[in-house]
Amino acid sequence: MALVQLKGIKKSYQLGKTEVVALKGVDLTIEKGEFTVVMGPSGSGKTTLLNIIGCLDRASAGSYKLDGEEIGHRDFNDLAEVRNRKIGFIFQNFNLIPVLDVVENIEFPCVIRGEDRKALRERTLKIAAEVGLTPYLKQKPDELSGGQRQRVAIARALVTEPQLVLADEPTANLDSTTADQIIDLMLKLNSEHGVTFLFSTHDPRVMEHARRVVRIHDGVMEDGTEAAAQEASRLHAAMAH
Amino acid sequence: MFSLLQIAIRNVLRNKRRTAITLAALLVGVSVMVSIRGTLNGLQRSLVQNVVNGQTGALQVHRTGFLKNVLSSPLSMDMPQDAAFEKKMLAIKHVTAVSPRILFAGMINVADQTIFLGVQAVDPIREFKVVPLRASTIDDKQQFASGKVMDAMVVTEQLQKALNGSNVPKDAPAAILAPDKDGALSGENVTLTGPMKLNMPGEKKVGMVRLDVAQRLLKMEGRATEYIVAVDDIDNIPAVAKDLQTALGKDYEVSTWEEIATFVKQAMQRQNVILNLVAIVFMILMLLGVANTMLMSVLDRTREIGTMMAVGVRRSKILGLFLMEAATIGALGGILGGALGSLIVLVLHQRGISVTFPGSNMPFVIQPFVTPTYLFSVVSLAGSGALLFAVYPAWRASRLRPVEALAGG
Repeated sequence: MALVQLKGIKKSYQLGKTEVVALKGVDLTIEKGEFTVVMGPSGSGKTTLLNIIGCLDRASAGSYKLDGEEIGHRDFNDLAEVRNRKIGFIFQNFNLIPVLDVVENIEFPCVIRGEDRKALRERTLKIAAEVGLTPYLKQKPDELSGGQRQRVAIARALVTEPQLVLADEPTANLDSTTADQIIDLMLKLNSEHGVTFLFSTHDPRVMEHARRVVRIHDGVMEDGTEAAAQEASRLHAAMAH
Repeated sequence: MFSLLQIAIRNVLRNKRRTAITLAALLVGVSVMVSIRGTLNGLQRSLVQNVVNGQTGALQVHRTGFLKNVLSSPLSMDMPQDAAFEKKMLAIKHVTAVSPRILFAGMINVADQTIFLGVQAVDPIREFKVVPLRASTIDDKQQFASGKVMDAMVVTEQLQKALNGSNVPKDAPAAILAPDKDGALSGENVTLTGPMKLNMPGEKKVGMVRLDVAQRLLKMEGRATEYIVAVDDIDNIPAVAKDLQTALGKDYEVSTWEEIATFVKQAMQRQNVILNLVAIVFMILMLLGVANTMLMSVLDRTREIGTMMAVGVRRSKILGLFLMEAATIGALGGILGGALGSLIVLVLHQRGISVTFPGSNMPFVIQPFVTPTYLFSVVSLAGSGALLFAVYPAWRASRLRPVEALAGG
């Protein structure tokens, strides 16, 4: 069943007196359990697309159904609710709350929705163990390495048991070994928990593992799994040399 | 586990230098406000005590209409000076003593020097029971206050200087002259026993004679123009005034010290207005500091706000978070400032501050104090003001679009 259904999504911005069109009518369907990568050059509109799918921004036109529900025209608070219940985010810069420790950062999205604290703590500790954070539970973000911080972000994205996890360049600020570990972790979570992942990345290692790659260019979508996989292999080979 | 309040408190502690500067501004502002109010409280209490215990007494009783015509010294608007009348007044609860006076205008003559003056005729023994501070203003080795010198008179230092300007000997005979109750000019010999000081600004050419001398001079035996009433506590004055008025009836008017020494009351009101204006300016400056801190905090934490929004925090909670941070700083600064201000006031209260009014040569000591109500209102004003001044920065934070906030504004 389709988890994300975009039809004719358009997005334009007003930049001074100029209107910038970032998306020119994107159609995209993502099935539950998919591990999808969106790729494209800078300024192609991939971050805009992810922002709209993540309910962080609204499309100027078109239809967006998440889990069968039309959510494109909901108000700010409704979208906050959708983000909290259905979507997890992993950011390039980790985006942890500096005053909260590891456990508190992971629990944060559930605490704000008033979840039962005891059950939440049990689930948090389980997820923390799964992503390898058990020794660091009381550490603050500035006491962690980049890889550890991204693990916290992954755990925070998963603790709400979302239907969709959006990852915007999740390995961009990590060294190659840590990036591999993070990719393996997300693949494991995808296969074991069936969580749908949608990435925006330039990292060929991520593309290599993607089960589907969609390309975006000048605000127009090209769904080309095979072509993208070839592109990934080319980039990977180039990096190896 | 944690709540938004805990996050707010941690955020306040996070940028220690910025929080410390904001707290210092609040601390200085609130403590200065408390200290100034405390000093003014002490000054005003001393002022009141000085007036009540050194000049007007707590209450005065006159014939109805006397005060309206006081400038013409209406001797016809007199009252009995006898035990029965006094008993009526002493029967009122909280009244501790009463003393009769006659006020009149006259002249003093020494050698070939004659000067106009206002005269208060008093019973020396009883006068200093109702206005005890007055005794210390007379520098005549207790000759007047003892009541033993039958024709004793004291005049102000300024008047004595004017009289001695013609180089008359100190013990030269003196006389007071005044129109009596029937309008005929009359005179009495007096002995100037020494000068008296003015403890408050006011008319400088005044003197005091014994009541019996004035009664003879003015043909007013057994009569007085006013009674001074002493009350056990300043706070009881309004209630006693009411009871006294009821007991004496409509032929008499009972006036409080505030109605007699109106300039003191007006001066106090002016002081309060000025202090309140200063306090408002201080408060606004302090709170602008809080607003600035919150605005900087919002700018520094734009991406963090975006993260919070991304994981589902509603705008109202973002607003609440920043308001809680401001309220925490405001409450903390207010409480610490209030505590420091109270400490300063306490130290000043114990040490006392010596003050001399312009136009007076009697220094007196003021003991600053603040009421718990004032402390509470200043502290809560700092807290709620901080909250109010943080509304704009907090609102700005809450109105950010998640995408913009995540991009760092």
